[in-house]
Amino acid sequence: MSLGHRKRRAFPLKEILLLAAGILFLSPVFLAVLNSFKTLAEINAAPLALPSRPTLASYGGIFTRVHILKPMLNSLLMALAVIVCLITIAPMAAYSMSRRKMRTGPCLRVLFLSGLMIPFQVLMVPLMQEFRFLGIQFSYLSLLLVYVSTGLPFAIFVYTGFLTTVPKELEEAAAIDGCGQFGTFWRIIFPLLAPCTVTVIIFWGIWIWNDFLMAFIFMGPSRGQLAFVQLWTFLSDKYVKNWDTIFAGVVVLSLPLTVLYLTMQRRLVKGLTAGAIK
Amino acid sequence: MTTYSSRPAPGRAENPFHENPFHPPAWKNAATSALFCGPAILLYGGFVLLPTLLGFGYSFTNWSGWGQKPGFVGLGNFRELFTDALFYRAFRFTLFETALILLFFTFGTMVLAVLLDRLKAMKGLIRALFFYPYILSILVGGLIFQWLGNYREGAINTVLRGIGLESWAQEWMGPQWAGWFLFAFVVWSAMGFFTMLYLANLQMIPDELYEAAALDGAGPVSVFRHVQFPMLMPTITTNSVMALIFGINLFGQVVVLWEQPRNDTYTIGYYIYDLGVRGNRQGYATAVSLVMFLILAVVAVVQVRTLRRREVHL
Repeated sequence: MSLGHRKRRAFPLKEILLLAAGILFLSPVFLAVLNSFKTLAEINAAPLALPSRPTLASYGGIFTRVHILKPMLNSLLMALAVIVCLITIAPMAAYSMSRRKMRTGPCLRVLFLSGLMIPFQVLMVPLMQEFRFLGIQFSYLSLLLVYVSTGLPFAIFVYTGFLTTVPKELEEAAAIDGCGQFGTFWRIIFPLLAPCTVTVIIFWGIWIWNDFLMAFIFMGPSRGQLAFVQLWTFLSDKYVKNWDTIFAGVVVLSLPLTVLYLTMQRRLVKGLTAGAIK
Repeated sequence: MTTYSSRPAPGRAENPFHENPFHPPAWKNAATSALFCGPAILLYGGFVLLPTLLGFGYSFTNWSGWGQKPGFVGLGNFRELFTDALFYRAFRFTLFETALILLFFTFGTMVLAVLLDRLKAMKGLIRALFFYPYILSILVGGLIFQWLGNYREGAINTVLRGIGLESWAQEWMGPQWAGWFLFAFVVWSAMGFFTMLYLANLQMIPDELYEAAALDGAGPVSVFRHVQFPMLMPTITTNSVMALIFGINLFGQVVVLWEQPRNDTYTIGYYIYDLGVRGNRQGYATAVSLVMFLILAVVAVVQVRTLRRREVHL
């Protein structure tokens, strides 16, 4: 295209303007990182200046005063547990409902999809009640159950959509070779669903690591055991905000996902959008 | 739907085994289905559907939420709703936020996505800058915004004072600006996701359409009007519905910004939490959430129906 040729030589004005806008957009994050290397007095006196004497004192505080390390490990384990549950339970159900001849399949599918619409507040308190009845209130197990159960509709939705692209002949060939239904699913179908599984891992990995509300509500009095809840509890105890500790905490807790994002940006964005767009 | 047994079995003639893998006995098939779907049904039924139904049941009672038995009050809770000033206030605030969010996440992010679509340099970097806040916890964003909007030491006011606009310094989180400040925070933290969905859709537009438009001498504006906009209709549906749900359910964002929200920053979502978890008025809280759910469902259905009709299919 001759037009394109001419444009390539043009000064990339649009790109430079967008880059500037993007940097401005992200400046709150840059400021937070910058201020995490200052003392509290300096943050209050000169919030926008470079640190006059960079210090790691606030990072020490986040580990010694807020004790963030163990909660971070807990969050990681929780995310892993939820993901393992979701990527075994959801694809099995999606497969059975849409591919095996199940008379109740379509009906069940609608039931699961309707879960995408139910606002969380509707079931929040009855759910707490239920956990109390079961004797597992304020436990890790209850939180795990909340994450998995409320995650199922979307996971099933993603898997069902993707299953339509898997050719049927594969299952038939496996069946003729004498593979049972479970064998067919785990050995033939599940590996083919890998892109979906990646989406689910990314989505729930980010969501559970970052979540503090559900953990805050469902862990109740024993709260302070997942990463962001720990930070939150530490902060809301105080009248005066210790911005140095806050910024250090914010940076430490955002670091794992940031590293992940920088190393696999393309994959991550693809995985995140794949769920909503087919 | 054809029933299971009436389906002709492919390969039946060749299969020497008595038990055809395509035709296991009915009981066995049902058992396999139960094993496949059982865990999902159990969890979803037990911890999503059951509490939802319970919640709807409780909305007709005066249940406190803890201990004592709920008493049936009929439509009393719904009648109270009409005279509840705090509910009206929260409702108005939520509607205001939802309207802004719906507009911006449907149209604002679309414009941004179109701008970001065909970059010739620094594509990954520029996109990353706009997308990054989405992977941060709302608590991270909330804390940073609390600090930005702080009157004395906050960055916004410091900048304004620094460039001589002392009088523009505001109590950004105070009653006058709270709604806009919350909106700014929501935009900052969630914009990346909605923009990415539009971008993913834009990349699916075949090049031929752009070439045809270029041959017709179309400028960027008419390319947007006649090529990009119609092709984006499916994502417009998705995004606007998600924005609607997002806005009506606004809850965590208010908590992280204000910690103990004032009356003027109550959203419906926070009001329900306040009534149910902290206020010992579970029956009334579920009545509020039921009303909210019905409103949301009606609006969402209408919205999807109207928008779906306008989607183009290649």
